[in-house]
Amino acid sequence: MRWMFGTLIALLFAATPAFAHHSFAAEFDAQKCSDITGVLTKVAYENPHSYVWVDVKNAAGKVEASTFQLSSPSNLKRGGATYGVLNGNVGKTVLVRGCASRNGEPNRFAASFIKLSDGTLQRVGQDVEGIFGTKIWR
Amino acid sequence: MRAHIGVMLVAACAWSAAAAAQEQKPFVEARGSVKPVPLPPGGPAPRMSDGKVDLSGVWFSGPTGKANAWSVVPDVPLKEDPVPFQPAAAAKIRGMSRTERELNSPGVRCTPVGTPGMWTINPYPHQLITKPGLYVHLIESDNAWNVVHTDGRPHKGKDDLEPLYNGDQTAHWEGDTLVIDTISIDERTWINQSGWFHSDQAHVIERIRRPSMNYLEYQYTVEDPKVLTKPWTSAWRTYSLGREDLTENFCTNNENVDQLEKLNQVEKQK
Repeated sequence: MRWMFGTLIALLFAATPAFAHHSFAAEFDAQKCSDITGVLTKVAYENPHSYVWVDVKNAAGKVEASTFQLSSPSNLKRGGATYGVLNGNVGKTVLVRGCASRNGEPNRFAASFIKLSDGTLQRVGQDVEGIFGTKIWR
Repeated sequence: MRAHIGVMLVAACAWSAAAAAQEQKPFVEARGSVKPVPLPPGGPAPRMSDGKVDLSGVWFSGPTGKANAWSVVPDVPLKEDPVPFQPAAAAKIRGMSRTERELNSPGVRCTPVGTPGMWTINPYPHQLITKPGLYVHLIESDNAWNVVHTDGRPHKGKDDLEPLYNGDQTAHWEGDTLVIDTISIDERTWINQSGWFHSDQAHVIERIRRPSMNYLEYQYTVEDPKVLTKPWTSAWRTYSLGREDLTENFCTNNENVDQLEKLNQVEKQK
C-alpha cells in the first residue's frame, strides 16, 4: 500500500518543475523566524520582489522600522494580496511572520504571511520554514 | 491521458488526507495557498487551419492551471539522468557556494533568461500563440518574448549569426510535436538555475506538445561539446491551461544582488 501511495504521488507531481525567481532560504534564516507586530507604514508593489515596512517597538520601547521582503506582484495578486489589499492596511496594526536576513542586516526579514487588520491570514512569500505544507525553495 | 488524470485526482485526495494525518503540527491555513487539484484533460487539443495542434493559451507549470509558487505540493524531483558535465565544468559548478550560485544566476540578476531559460528559469506563466508557420512565446519575467518561424527554414548563414539570448532559432513539426532548434546562444545565459553554464557551441532542441485541451508538455535537449561529455535530454515537464492573463512584470527594484553580495562577503570571512 505504501509503495502504491508513493507511486501515485510521484505520478502526480513528478512533472512539476521547481521554480522561483530566487530562493528565500538562501538569503533568509529559517531558524530565525518570529511573529512581528507593528504598524504597516509603506508598500512597494514592485518586481522582482515587493516590500512592506512596519514600525515595530523594540524591547526598550523605541520604534524601529523593519523591512519585509515579499513575493512578486505576479504571485501576490494571484494569491489575493493585491495592491489594494496591502495598501488598505497602511496605518493599521498587522502581524508579520518574518525570517531574519542571513547577512546580518538588522530589521530585514522575509515575510511568509501577514495577519491583516481584518484578521485574514494572507500568504505573501515563500514557505522558508515549512509552515504551510507548501514548497520550500532550497 | 484520461486515465493519467484520474490517477492524479485520486493521488491528490490521498495526499491531502495522508499529509493531514502524518503532520504533528498543523499547517498554517492562509489565503493564497493553492490546493493540488489537477485539471481534467478537457477534451482533445484544438487544431489550426493547417491541421497542426494549436498550442495557444496561458500555461502554468504543474497540473492545477494556477500559479504554483504557493502550491501544497510535495517536493518530488523530476526523474532525469544526471547531466553529463565534463570534469572541469562539474568542478566549476561545484566550486560555487549556494550564495554564489544565486548571485550568478540570470534569474536573480534579472538579466535575459534566453533559450531554454524562458522555460527553465522563468517562474511565471507562459502565453503561447501559434499560427500556421509561426510560434510566439510571451513570459512575464521582464516581459520577454520570442518569435520563431515553424516552417522548417534553415538557420542563418555563418556571416549572419551573432550571439543572442534567444539564439538563432528554427522550428518544424514532427507529427503533433513542435521541435524548436536553437544555436548561437549568448554565453551569459544559463541552461537552468542550477549553475549550468554553457559555451558558444551549445545547441538546444526543445519539444512542445499538447496532449489534450488543458495540458501542455515541454522537453529540452542540450548538446554542448565544450561543457558536456554527451547530449542530455530532460524529462517532460507538465503545464496546464490557466484562465487568466499574463501580468506586467518589469524587474525595476532588485535588492537581492546587493543583499547576496553582502552575504557572500560574510560567508567568506568565516
